[in-house]
Amino acid sequence: MSRYWFRLDNAALIFPAVRQQNWTNAFRVSITLREKIDPIALQQAVVDLMPRFPTFYVRLRTGVFWYYLEEVRHPPAVRPDYAYPLTHMNAKELRTCCLRVFYHKNRIAAEFFHSLTDGSGGVIYLKTLAARYLTLRYGVKIPAECGVLDWTQDPQPEELEDSFLRHAGKVALSRKEPTSYRLRGTREPDGFLHLTTGVVDTRTLIDTAHKYDATVTAFLAAVMTKSILNMQNEKRYLGRLKPVKITIPVNLRKLYGSSTLRNFALTINPGVDPMLGHYTLRELCGIYTKELALEATPKQMAARIAANVGPQQLFPLKLAPLFLKNMAMRMVYADIGERKGCLNISNLGSTALPDVMQPYVERLEFIIGVQKTYPNNCSVASCGGVTCINMIRSIQESELERQFFSRLVELGIPVTIESNER
Amino acid sequence: MYCVKCGVRLDDSLDRCPLCNTPVWRPDESMDPTKKFSGIYPKKQRNERMAALAFLTALALLAAFITLRICLHIYGGIGWSGYSMLGIALFYIIVILPLWFHRPNPMVFVPVSHAAIAGYLLYICEKTGGHWFLSFAFPVVALSCLFITGFIALMKYIHGGRLFIIGGSIIFLGGLSILVEFFQHITFATQMFTWSLYVVSSCFAFGMFLILSALIRPLREYLERRFFL
Repeated sequence: MSRYWFRLDNAALIFPAVRQQNWTNAFRVSITLREKIDPIALQQAVVDLMPRFPTFYVRLRTGVFWYYLEEVRHPPAVRPDYAYPLTHMNAKELRTCCLRVFYHKNRIAAEFFHSLTDGSGGVIYLKTLAARYLTLRYGVKIPAECGVLDWTQDPQPEELEDSFLRHAGKVALSRKEPTSYRLRGTREPDGFLHLTTGVVDTRTLIDTAHKYDATVTAFLAAVMTKSILNMQNEKRYLGRLKPVKITIPVNLRKLYGSSTLRNFALTINPGVDPMLGHYTLRELCGIYTKELALEATPKQMAARIAANVGPQQLFPLKLAPLFLKNMAMRMVYADIGERKGCLNISNLGSTALPDVMQPYVERLEFIIGVQKTYPNNCSVASCGGVTCINMIRSIQESELERQFFSRLVELGIPVTIESNER
Repeated sequence: MYCVKCGVRLDDSLDRCPLCNTPVWRPDESMDPTKKFSGIYPKKQRNERMAALAFLTALALLAAFITLRICLHIYGGIGWSGYSMLGIALFYIIVILPLWFHRPNPMVFVPVSHAAIAGYLLYICEKTGGHWFLSFAFPVVALSCLFITGFIALMKYIHGGRLFIIGGSIIFLGGLSILVEFFQHITFATQMFTWSLYVVSSCFAFGMFLILSALIRPLREYLERRFFL
């Protein structure tokens, strides 16, 4: 029987092309339960979900003109977790399966190569996996609600679609924008990734953000910008200060009412130019809130999608062999992908769970890997009144984390820090 | 109003069905000769296209006129400007002429383009005093015209079996190369079977490979996966 295969979605095309020997674009979602994980039940849950998520149990294959994803015959084996998250997925592993499932004490974690899905798709998988695990382990019946899918159902066609193609606008928006200040540091020679998690009370965070008339994402971006501006000022010897911009992914499912489980997010890069003067936190909150509101609209995003989808649909470019496309995409990525922001702040938002599941769950986390050249990244997820702000870095210096979290404390938000420091 | 062919409901302002291009029949309305475009779709787009084509036409005419004037001024006759003028005309017929039509039919334009190529070659043959047109250029152009028109017709009107059509056409193309070498042989007295057998064997191998992949499903699926655009 032939294997099910499908094309990469528009956002996914870039990730296999730009991956390197020591770097792959991946992310992790994890759920911490109240009791120790039983690996046998977890493995069974992973097997059970295979027909429900055909776009996740796949491996990366190389065609003559494009990469594609092909279903795997056997689901991935669950493994004990590593000392640090998002260890490099090498080419051999991607050719085997692009999904990993880990367990460690009370925690279940799933790591995805970014060509499979984005954070929102990953969380739906994780919640369904956890629900199935709880059913197998404790016999709890969990209804298919709040993003938990019914694992016995067949996948819906709209869950498998490439929504970018459906929602691309007629007019493409220019990608031209100023480059950003770049964070630097001493790279870890062995590729170790430092993870610093700030656990905060969601209500306190929201209330503080509202005090500054900002959304949580805008508030966190403002605090991060303030920290980076401060760092840039301290390190500046000569020359002009560079704009400080934050890359913020926008979940397009809400904008367009899509229920795809594949990638459907785009990033925007709001920020400020320190050469224009000093910015207070309130000013920064206002700038980010307004910029996000202006940019994250269906029309604006449709024009951004069109700019990305357009080249993919040009017939002469389709005919170019894959290695030429890879070279072109690497150049585009080097020029546009990572020069327009200092780091990502990816906020999954508040994740709801079915009521019967909530007592078993302590918290939910979302971790994005470092970019190819950015040494730092930040991801945020809230669940059950607890917000986890995960800051990951590939460098030794933890100055940014220090400045960021201490600023939050100064603003009256108690932060509990956890780390995998060695 | 509904389209009499497709049965879809059409906006009242439409003159033609957007799906099948069938004119809307309104028995209770007299035809308004001034109404050329529907109210929904602006005229601007078509006008812009027409203006661009008119500009290209004027440019082609200007280029032909300039070469003719230069040639007349220097040599007092048409001379080499005939080649360039007819070359421009050939380019115009093959590339620009189909653009004047909303949906150019390749079954018409492929023979028209080949006729233009044949005419151009006839001119060159006459001007250079050659004797190769009737025995070589004309049959080769005619074969090319028949092959391409036939291929397009099969692809257009037969749904499914694309790999069979493409594979069979490639084998047929290999067979045609023997004919081309034959015309070359009788016109220029060259040796027979110097190159055409290579073409025949490679076309046969490739065509058979495509036909086999159409017959063997796993192979076809493998090729689809590897070569999709």
